[in-house]
Amino acid sequence: MTSFEQLLRSLAQARVDFIVVGGIAGGLHGAARTTYDLDVVYARDAQNLARLVGALGPLDPYLRGAPPGLPFRWDTDTLVRGLNFTLTTSAGDIDLLGEVTGGGPYENLLPHTIEVEAFGITCRCVTLPKLIALKRATGRPRDFDAIAELEVLLEEQRRGESKAND
Amino acid sequence: MPEHTAPSIALPPDPVIEAYKKDIDRTLLRETLKLTPAQRLQRLQDVVQTMAILRGAARRKA
Repeated sequence: MTSFEQLLRSLAQARVDFIVVGGIAGGLHGAARTTYDLDVVYARDAQNLARLVGALGPLDPYLRGAPPGLPFRWDTDTLVRGLNFTLTTSAGDIDLLGEVTGGGPYENLLPHTIEVEAFGITCRCVTLPKLIALKRATGRPRDFDAIAELEVLLEEQRRGESKAND
Repeated sequence: MPEHTAPSIALPPDPVIEAYKKDIDRTLLRETLKLTPAQRLQRLQDVVQTMAILRGAARRKA
């Protein structure tokens, strides 16, 4: 079972520069849809890669779906050679994204984030309009329902804000 | 969550997504909007935990 708290705490305590995207970002904004993994976009500078290795190392990360015994070293060299990693850890599943379709790398996405606090941890989460744009950019039919939910959520948020301003 | 500083993004309506919107339960979303982000994440965590327990129980029964 994925512990979102443990994963977020590990990243935050190691001061990893990351942005929450995907289903958990939707959940933080109010989507009712369940998700079973944590998706984050991470900064690719050398210092951040070292922090990321240190943060997840104790959780024994391994390539999700890979056959047991496949050699996998969790170190900065591996991160430098790759970009996006779908991992399973002792705290559950996490997707580390060096770039996202429609959003680019961490630095490009950063202006489209807000700070949120959950489990006593402060982290950055992509804004709801940008999350919708990212989901739209992937163009996957399996996301249509999720996009519709996020767009309705945005309508409801704006409706609530305009009511509050009346 | 207010988004005061983030650049605005134009999201022109997509006819396919508009069709999907008809099936979205707005009442459910209005309830989650009453929660804080922390409460929403805790709720997600609780659902994942419950699902794990149910799946374990189903496996044991099979």
